[in-house]
Amino acid sequence: MNENLTGLIKIVGISILLVTLWIILSVYVPEKFLSPNNIENLLRRTALYGILGVGVAFVIMTSGIDLSLGSLVCLCGCLLAIFLRVEYQPINQADVWAISAENRTLLVPSETSLESGQSLRLFNARKARNLLARIESVRTTEFNGRPAKELTLDQKPSRDDALDGSLTAIGKVVPVYPLESIRTPASDDSGNARPSELTIAAGALGLQPRDRLVLVSSKGGIQEKTIATVSSSGQQTKIQLKDAASEVDNQWQAIPVKRVQRMSVPSAVGLVLLIAAGLGLLHGLLITRLGQQPFVVTLCGLLIYRGLSRRLSNDQVLGFGDEYADSLNALATGRWVLWEAADGSGSFGIPYVFFILLGVALLAAIFLNLTIWGRYILALGKNQEAARYSGINTGRMICLTYLLCGLITGLGGILHAIDANSISPSSFGNWFELWAIAAAVLGGCSLRGGEGGIIGVIVGTALMQTLYNMIVLLKIPSELEYVIIGAVILIGVVSDELIRRAATAVRTR
Amino acid sequence: MAHISPTSNCSLPDQGNPGNCLLEVRGLSKSFPGVKALDDVSLHLRAGEVLAVIGENGAGKSSLMKILAGVQTADTGQILLHGAEVRFESTRAALDAGVVLIHQELNLCENLNVGQNIFLGREPRIGPFILSREIEQRSTQFLNAVGLQTSPRTLVSKLSVGQQQMVEIAKALSVQAKVIIFDEPTSSLSAKETESLFAMIRSLQEQGVGIIYISHRLEEVKHLASRVTVLRDGQNAGELSGDAITHDNMVSRMIGRDVTRVYSRTRHQLGPVVLEVRDAVTTAYPEQAVSFSVRAGEIVGIAGLVGAGRSELLRGIFGVDQLVRGTIEINGQPQSIHSARAAQAAGLALVPEDRKQQGLIVEFNIRKNVGLAKLRDAAGPGGWINFGGEKTAASEAIQRLNIKTSSDLKLAKFLSGGNQQKVVIGKWLAVGPRVLLLDEPTRGIDVGAKQEIYRLIESLAAKSLAILFVSSEMEEVLGLSDRVLVMHEGRLAGELAQNQISEANIMRLATGQGLPPNPSAN
Repeated sequence: MNENLTGLIKIVGISILLVTLWIILSVYVPEKFLSPNNIENLLRRTALYGILGVGVAFVIMTSGIDLSLGSLVCLCGCLLAIFLRVEYQPINQADVWAISAENRTLLVPSETSLESGQSLRLFNARKARNLLARIESVRTTEFNGRPAKELTLDQKPSRDDALDGSLTAIGKVVPVYPLESIRTPASDDSGNARPSELTIAAGALGLQPRDRLVLVSSKGGIQEKTIATVSSSGQQTKIQLKDAASEVDNQWQAIPVKRVQRMSVPSAVGLVLLIAAGLGLLHGLLITRLGQQPFVVTLCGLLIYRGLSRRLSNDQVLGFGDEYADSLNALATGRWVLWEAADGSGSFGIPYVFFILLGVALLAAIFLNLTIWGRYILALGKNQEAARYSGINTGRMICLTYLLCGLITGLGGILHAIDANSISPSSFGNWFELWAIAAAVLGGCSLRGGEGGIIGVIVGTALMQTLYNMIVLLKIPSELEYVIIGAVILIGVVSDELIRRAATAVRTR
Repeated sequence: MAHISPTSNCSLPDQGNPGNCLLEVRGLSKSFPGVKALDDVSLHLRAGEVLAVIGENGAGKSSLMKILAGVQTADTGQILLHGAEVRFESTRAALDAGVVLIHQELNLCENLNVGQNIFLGREPRIGPFILSREIEQRSTQFLNAVGLQTSPRTLVSKLSVGQQQMVEIAKALSVQAKVIIFDEPTSSLSAKETESLFAMIRSLQEQGVGIIYISHRLEEVKHLASRVTVLRDGQNAGELSGDAITHDNMVSRMIGRDVTRVYSRTRHQLGPVVLEVRDAVTTAYPEQAVSFSVRAGEIVGIAGLVGAGRSELLRGIFGVDQLVRGTIEINGQPQSIHSARAAQAAGLALVPEDRKQQGLIVEFNIRKNVGLAKLRDAAGPGGWINFGGEKTAASEAIQRLNIKTSSDLKLAKFLSGGNQQKVVIGKWLAVGPRVLLLDEPTRGIDVGAKQEIYRLIESLAAKSLAILFVSSEMEEVLGLSDRVLVMHEGRLAGELAQNQISEANIMRLATGQGLPPNPSAN
């Protein structure tokens, strides 16, 4: 028997198990199992977990292990959310140092760009109520030895206040611009509101689509709207909102708000991948250069990355909101629609993330089977000493596998984070390393190293996800979930060994 | 366990040796899927006798011994101990009956001490508590009997291989062994240790213990054995006793044809110096520096006792172990060699000592094994495997080295030792080295395949390859070398030119004595 056949037997065996499960589910719960949603979901989950399985398969092939994978997924998710955090900052917002109700004045730093005749909004004040007012005059003065502007308003603030202690501000002011016109077209035939168009009396504010306008009225009304398009000419800026600003008339005023994204999507993704690959490389170096055991190194990683995630996020749930609905989200949640019911009641599409899995798997399989480095990895996985005696730099190759594992885990972490859009740093990614290892083992990788293939890992993942799906669809008590998955993995690896023994017996007969 | 059957009194034709029949084997057969390991094998052993069992690899020696020691059970046939039929279902049953197998690879727990090993599994105890004091007292007695001057509290890992073997024998004495089976006992012993083992065997003999001695080393067999049973292809292939125990008689029965001598080679013209080693110091002997050179087309043997630092030297030259210092020149160019990769680039190749651990990836097929060293150079800048080149290299190796296989896709682990060794050699020939280093090139290989390896080495030398080999087989060193370097405790004890090569000279140097004043002794 040659080695290809041994591998083939494994894949065929587990594929038969997978197809059998599919058939059982199709017979017992055809409506549920074969519904477009369910299949799509199964594909998506297989892809999300399969990518992680491919990553860990590399280190398993060198008889290593990566226990830090789940924590690294969490860390990558947290980092991505932090790198891509979006803040909205009103344009030309300024601190307030002192408020005098009697004099109708505000003291602001002298570099504040508020001029006489402009309107402003006072908000977030420690004592005074929010206030919408017009500046009647501006006078330069001094406050606690620092140059300041004294703004005299046309209205009285509600309370006096002044800076004391170590505070830097007792409130904020921001210029507001009057609406010259606002128009909200009538609703369309099906009753959906149409987006409003408006003009504000200000030019060159540098507004972009996706920035926002806060619309305020002197009666206390406030609405925040996202800008769809914007064009400036002279002292006028024409803006179309994304949706309707209902009940807003030209007595209202507008506060332009800039959308500030910490990092561009490509740099954030790139940086996360770089960090993940770097941590993988660090694992590899600790293992090969300092002779540490993979189990121990990555166990420490498991603890450290989990703790780091919680610290970086202050243990708060992180997410992306709908900030990246049109860009990044498509990666994990988008799909290539193949079929749509005529009445719009349902549709079926292949999730983009499944194509990402296919891409990763294809690259990994090419790397493992067609390049010398892949061959070296398999060789040293089977016999590291013989590989070294054959002129292979085994230490460098092992480092490479941990680097690749880290990189692919980083990619998986990004996709999982976008998919979940809610990253709870203490639990996100928990157990992922074990699912990934289980899928790889089920798919024919041996923890002794040197065995296994990418196809097997994907089939293994699909099998585990199908099991999970089965538990949900057949309404098996969820307490039994781990029992069933554990038992199937055990059956899978035991029957693999039995088949192997039978095959060896046949060969030697 | 033992039930009485009609007694036998060793009624075999050979009655030359007095003494009771201790052990008799009648018509033993054992099949494994695909192979008939033993086919109607019979032998007998008298008390106080050394019976050698010899045969090529795969002749059935190991299977026979495993059955005698209870590791395996026979399909058919009888084993009689003191005339009573026995059937050992476990090694424990064999042990209790007094049949002990001392393996080629010693079966001691290195993390336990000598006493604990001697009584392993049979500890004197009260309830669950081991009586360590008693173990030590009783061990000391057996250690004295085998002449091992060591405390029973010494960790086994601190002992030399020869001493460990004595512990095994002490263990055998502790169960009052009646039959002791030695499986290749001298393969990793020094000459001195071998001598004390032989003395021990003779003293066991005098005590009436029956010894079954398995060895490839026919000199030893000649030296020790009262009788020799030869196995071939799982069958009895003759028995020799007394003066009939000669090297040629044994070999001809083992391989079934006449062999005149180990190897006789033709000499040819030598080229310029290819490998020059200056002041090489290995970590095993940090005090000793070794210098020598090898010329193109020259076959240089490194002889010496086990532990003389020969393998360490080869591994150091090849860069898989780091030399403490020393320079290596290839064709006059100094080389910096700190890895096998660098050694390969410099034109060196090493066929290592441990074929399955260092030479081959046994789970890879022949093609992948042959291609492994050449992979990078054949790949080009993209790193893509040159599958065509790999296939060609494999078929060339199979043809050129006469590797017996149905296909180059056969896993290396399914090949015989000789064919495995050819695959290792093929892997290195594929990269076109200038210097071929071989460490024990024919260890564990049967006689026929050895001849092929010798012919191959000679033909490579004829093509101007410089060849440096380490061997513990005297015949091999004598028959194959143009020149012999003899090492003793890490240093180069001497160099023997063609006309000086003799067993006596090699042994003199290897044991640390100088050559006699007139070097051309023969």
